[in-house]
This record gives sequence, C-alpha cells and structure tokens, in this order.
Amino acid sequence: MTEQSSGREPVLAIDGATKRFPGVLALDHAGIDLHPGSIHALLGENGAGKSTLIKIITGVHGADEGEMRLDGAPAAFQNPRDSIHAGIAAVHQERNLVPRLSVAENILLERMHTRFGLIDYAALNREAARIMATLGLDIDPRRPVRDLSVAQMQLVEIAKGLSVDARVLLLDEPTASITPHETGTLFRLLRDLRDEGVAIMFVSHKLEEVLDLCDTVTVLRDGQNACRSEPMQGLGRAELVQYMIGRKETFVTGRQRKPQGAPLLELNDVSTDLGHHGISFDLRPGETVGLYGLVGAGRTELAHAIVGAARITGGSLRIDGEEERPRDIGHTLRQHRIGYVSEDRKGEGLVLMHSIRTNIAVTIWQRIAGRLGWLTPATEKRAVLPFVEKLEIRAPSVDQPVGLLSGGNQQKVSVAKWLAAEARLLIIDEPTVGVDIQTKAYLHELIHDLVEQGTAVLLISSDMPEMLALADRIVVMHEFTVTGEVPNDGSSGEVSGAIMRCIHAEGEEVA
Amino acid sequence: MTRTDQPAATGADRERKRGGAGMAAGPKPGRAALGWLASNEAGLLMITLLFVLLFSQLTAGFTSLFNLYALTRVLAIDAVIGFSMMVVLVTGGLNLAAGAIGVCGAMAAGWFMQALGLPVWLALPLALCVGALLGALNGALTVWMDVHSFVVTLATMSIFFGTMILLTEARAFSDLPPGYVALAKTRYGFWSGLLVVTAIVGVLLWLLFHRTTLGRQILIAGANPRAAAMSGVPAGLTVIVCHALSGGLAALAGLMLTSRNGAALPSMAGQLGMDWLLPAFLAPILGGTLLTGGTVSVAGTFLGAALVTVLTNGLLQLQVGEFWIQAFLGAILLIAVALDRLRAVWIERRRVR
Repeated sequence: MTEQSSGREPVLAIDGATKRFPGVLALDHAGIDLHPGSIHALLGENGAGKSTLIKIITGVHGADEGEMRLDGAPAAFQNPRDSIHAGIAAVHQERNLVPRLSVAENILLERMHTRFGLIDYAALNREAARIMATLGLDIDPRRPVRDLSVAQMQLVEIAKGLSVDARVLLLDEPTASITPHETGTLFRLLRDLRDEGVAIMFVSHKLEEVLDLCDTVTVLRDGQNACRSEPMQGLGRAELVQYMIGRKETFVTGRQRKPQGAPLLELNDVSTDLGHHGISFDLRPGETVGLYGLVGAGRTELAHAIVGAARITGGSLRIDGEEERPRDIGHTLRQHRIGYVSEDRKGEGLVLMHSIRTNIAVTIWQRIAGRLGWLTPATEKRAVLPFVEKLEIRAPSVDQPVGLLSGGNQQKVSVAKWLAAEARLLIIDEPTVGVDIQTKAYLHELIHDLVEQGTAVLLISSDMPEMLALADRIVVMHEFTVTGEVPNDGSSGEVSGAIMRCIHAEGEEVA
Repeated sequence: MTRTDQPAATGADRERKRGGAGMAAGPKPGRAALGWLASNEAGLLMITLLFVLLFSQLTAGFTSLFNLYALTRVLAIDAVIGFSMMVVLVTGGLNLAAGAIGVCGAMAAGWFMQALGLPVWLALPLALCVGALLGALNGALTVWMDVHSFVVTLATMSIFFGTMILLTEARAFSDLPPGYVALAKTRYGFWSGLLVVTAIVGVLLWLLFHRTTLGRQILIAGANPRAAAMSGVPAGLTVIVCHALSGGLAALAGLMLTSRNGAALPSMAGQLGMDWLLPAFLAPILGGTLLTGGTVSVAGTFLGAALVTVLTNGLLQLQVGEFWIQAFLGAILLIAVALDRLRAVWIERRRVR
C-alpha cells in the first residue's frame, strides 16, 4: 500500500468488500481509498466489479463482507439517500433523468425550492442555471430533458451530481458520449473541485483521459484488486492494460484449427440502419470468430442485422458466396440455417412461461410437423429429447416452464433450440453471462466441439479470457465499426494487448 | 430415447419438488387427474354446478325442460362470442369490434339470402368470410400501425357499425329461408342443437392451439413476440390470423343469433355491438386466458360462458331486474380480472429465482 502524496487520511476507505450474486462472485475482497484533493481512477474490464463497488458506496447494494469507513469511522448505507446525506454524489452510467421533467427539475429533483408549499420555479431555474454555468453549459433550464441530445443529457446528469456540493464525487463513465470539447470543460471543473478538496472517483474506458486526469488508480479484475490506490506517476498505458487483463493463464484448446473451404459468411464494407459502417470480416465452417468490443460497440446490433432483424443499407453480405439481404429471420433460419443465441435470454432468447419442449422445438416446428401443420406433443418430445439429454438440461420434465429453470439451464435451452435447428452458423452472444462456473466450462466445451464438427461460430463476448479460449480470430469493434482484426495465437498477453490497442486507438490507424 | 412421460429426470430434486403440483402456464395435456382438480377449469365447473343446484332449489322454473333448452341456446351463442374474444386475447390484444363484426356478418348473411337470393349453404360461408375479412383488417392495422388493438378496434367498431347502418338503412332482413331459421330450433331433449355447432368450433380451436404449428406459433408469439420473432416465427402474421379468426367467430355468433331471432336485426347486439362486450370478455377471462397473452383455455372459455349464462338465467328466474344483473356481471368481471392479475403475479414469482 502506498502513501498518498498529500499524506491526509482517506475520506472514504473500503476494505475486503465482497459481494455475491447468484452464481457470480462480483466482488472478492476488494478495497479502495479515496483521498480529499485527489482524482482516483477506477479501472477494469466489463464485469470486473466496478459498478458493483460504486453501488456499494452509494448504498444501492449492501456488501456481503467488508468494511467501509467514512472519515475513519465505520459506515454503512442502507439506501442511496443515506449516502447523499453523507456527502457522496454519484453520476451513474445509466441515465437517471426523468424525460418529461425540465432540466432544472431534474438537476434539483431532491431539493425543490418551495414557497408556501408550491414550487418556486423562478428560484429553481436560477439555481439550475447557476450550476450549469460552472460547467460552461448553456441549456435553457425550462427545457424538458427528453428534447436534449444524449451528450447534453450526460452533461445534465453531471450537473445534477455536482449540484449537491459533495465531499466525495463518483463519476461512472461520464465521458462515454460527450465531445472532446465538453470533456475538456468537465476536466477543468473536476480539477477545480479537486483543488477545493473534493475526493473524486473517475471510471472510464478511455485510458488517455485517465492518464491525463487522475493521480491515483485502483484496478479491479474478476472482482479483486489488481492494484489498490497506487499513484499514477510512473504508470503508463501498457501497465494499466496489463493490470486490467492480467496474466492469468487461459486453457487455450486446439488453436491449430485449419478451417477449410470457402467462407460461409462474408461481410464487405457493410452498413446498417442501426448505424454500423465499414464492417468487413468473413467466417468459415469449422472456425470461431470473436467479436470483441466495449458495451455499446454495436456487436449485438450487428448480429441482429446478419439474421435479418435489422436492415443492411450498404456494402455486401454474402452467404455461401451468394449476395444476400437478410430480411426475415425465419427465412435466414430455414434457408441458411443461421441461428442466433441472444444475450437477452428473458427478453428475446426464451419464452419463459412456455415449456422446455416448446422453447427448443420452436425452431423446427415446420420441419417436424405433418400435413396441415399437424403437430403432437409426442412428436415434439421425440425431436427435443436428444438435445435435452446431450446438453444435460436438468428438469423433472420437458413440460416444465423454462422460467422455473436456473440461469445455466435456461442458457442451455437457448443453445439447444439452435442445435435442434442444425445451425451451420451460430451467432452466440455473451453465452456465459449470469451462468455458473461449471455450466460456463460446459458451454465452452460445447462450442469447441461444435466448431470441431464444422459449425461456424461468431462469438460475441465481453469476457476476455472466454474470447481467448474460444476464438480463432478476434474482430474488434468500436462505435459501430470494425477497428481491427487480431489472430488468436494463444499468447494471451499479446493478443489482449493488441485488442486493447484496437479499442483505445480512437480512430487512429491500427494493424 | 424414451417415450415415457418422465424424461431427462437427471437429479435436480430441488426443481422437482417445486415443479410438482403445477397448474403453471402452458399447454399440458398429460396432466394428472389430481392436477386437473386444482385447475381453473375444474373450479369453474364446480362453481357452475353449485349455482345450478342453488337455482334449482330456489326457483321452480329453472330446471324446467324449456328453460334448460333456452339456457343452452344462449350458452351456445355466448360461448362462441367468448371464443371470438379469446383468440385475440391470446395475442395480448383485444377486439372491441367483436359485436360490430358479428352484426355485420349477420346483416351480410341476411342481404345475401334475402336480397340476392343466395342459397343458405353459400350465404353462410360468405358471411363468415365477411367477418373474417373485417377481423383481418383489424389485425393488419394493428400490425402495420404498431399500436395496441384497443385503439384500432375501438375505431373500427364505429366504422364497421356505422357503415353497416348506412348500407342497410337500419332495416332488418326478416324474410329469411325457413331452413336457416329452423336450425336454431333443433333440440335434443333439453339441449339446444346450436350447442353442436359450439362444440365443433371448440374442438377445432383446441386442435388448432394444441395440435398444429400455426396454433403453437400464435401462442408463443402471444407470450413473447420478440423472442418468437427471433426464433423465426412470423409474429405479425399470427396477430393478423388471430384477428381474422376472431372476426369469423364473431360472424358465426351473429349467424347463430340471427337464426334464433328469425331475422337479421341491426340492433341485435345493441348500439355499436357493445352488448356483446361483457359476455365476450367474461367467458375467456373467467376461463383463465391471461390478458397478457400466450395462454389459452378453450374449455375454460366454454365453462366461463356457462357460468355467466347460468347466473343470468337463474337471477332472471328469481325476478332480479335486468339492470341489476348487468351490474352483477360487471362485478364478476372485476373479480375475474383481479384473480387474473394475482395469477400472473404468482406465475411471475415462480419464475423468478
């Protein structure tokens, strides 16, 4: 543990914070020390536990173990209100604004000025304008928030966080959608606050920003401290990336695959109505291509476009060398046998109130039905059972509603339906999110086996070790375009480094 | 590979304990007798029988052969009206225009037979087609405009009914072929012959939803349209099919009612056809069809209609005023909806781990 330069006591310190969610250990004895007059970077990959840590500090979650000290005295917040009272303000990653209310109402939501029990709008708007002026923000406080751009909303969110005169300010990816100019204004303001003695915690994926702004850094990896409250001085981007990815060995299996044959799927300079542009890559039978990127890079949306749930507006997409414009998911499935295992199991992967039998057989009803679409439960059961057994789906009966199964078994069902459909190309989106460790290993093995048998797999994952374990090549996406392609030769350190360079290149040319 | 009823029971005792007495959602044909007793349908049947017993003790007229015949004749028609709503509730939507379409179908049949002189065997199927087309229009508008069917059918209810009044100048067709009018008078003991029609329709609907690909697609799209679409189910098409089916069934109910009345009357379902709405919603909702879509109970809808018919008839026998009965049925609908919510919440709870 290193001494803070100022030598003062931390205003907020956390030790041994542990938080379990069903099947996941989100935080594993993590710690952090926030000092007054310091800007502290909190870094880590998606799912490393950053958001969980913030939610523990702000009282959204309670920690299972660990201690939080405020000014040296033990503290625990039951709810966000407690933490606000203690002088802790947070700007969360997800939007917390009320779209129909005005900018001023949103900024001062917690502390409306009232006169005779009525809201004093003149004072409210004046106060909001004053707060926004410090941010160099020129928005009419009376405008409803829903009329603002995403960047403006983010700035209003920041203004809201700043409005409470906090001693501790937590910013979770505040710069994700604002321009460099606005970022500059924000940073000036944060430095001013720092000089006034505020303790600031700053979360960002943009390492340049972090190196520029922050004086201390904590890195989380798999819920543990890769480093805790180290001074930024002497650290470079390479060291930070290494902290974030770690050197944990990954069991890379059979990387010597040589996919033969013509590409099954070819994308050439594809653009879509969802905003993708310049997307090019190909995929052969017996090969796994990974799509890596940050949350919001447009990977899931690209999968939707490939199966026909979104429209391709430019470039060419070829399936088996034939030019194709996927329009209809049913057609893509039956004609080309392309399947999509959704990341959103409950929303679009499964029908929770229906049985395992229905959920698996839905992709093959047309094939197993008799004349006039005649379909009996027995026929379905016969078609479905081999896959239930193969994937070891644990349930008393195939008539069990899927909603009653565990997350891991649900995920197995959502894979089984595409195995039943005999998909030649399987797009698998975040296959192991919310899945226990054993099922995760099982699913990895399954994907590996499928590819060995000649299935082409397009793997979308934010889990770097998973990517390194499964993918032959990794296509890196950032802001709805492809920023690079990295072959996976099994040397995890170099590959993940190359991937991070592709992401953080921010538009520079990358190999 | 096994063909028994307990496949893949690989461990997972925890799951088994919970999954046991399941009257959970979803078709479950192989349900054990004990499970059936705990089901919504069994409950309805018992309540209905209870009221039959009660009314037969309280009034002399209730069990008279003629009253039972009249009762089953009303039941036959109300059950079809219930089916017509049921098939759109499955999609998570509703059809306020059911009554208007029913009257349109009946008036179309009257026009075909009286004005055009078409034979009965041709006029009736054509009238059903008119109903199905009007329904399909509802469905297509719902899908294309991407609004809830509540808005669409509220609008088309007025449009269909108003157009029908304009075209017919609000005049009845009372000179119908005797063979057609006689249909509603067929009688087996104390059973109305119309029940045969209802039974056939019921069996066909059951087969559709539980034994055909189309019906299964309708159910899965009703439960979760996005997931269904991502599995290659044409979700929009299923909505149009359901509305067309609803229109066809409404027209069928209109034809049955016309046969009973002996004339096609523009006023037979009240202003805008709204007199049908209460029985239309009561039967399926009492029968356990979730308003959120994705489930269906044909038998439940029939039994729901039976309960409503028995109650109405019995209360009339007891000299309770018509308006009180309306208020009473409204109260029953509220209770049924409250139970529907409770059930949905309960299913949701079981789902969450």
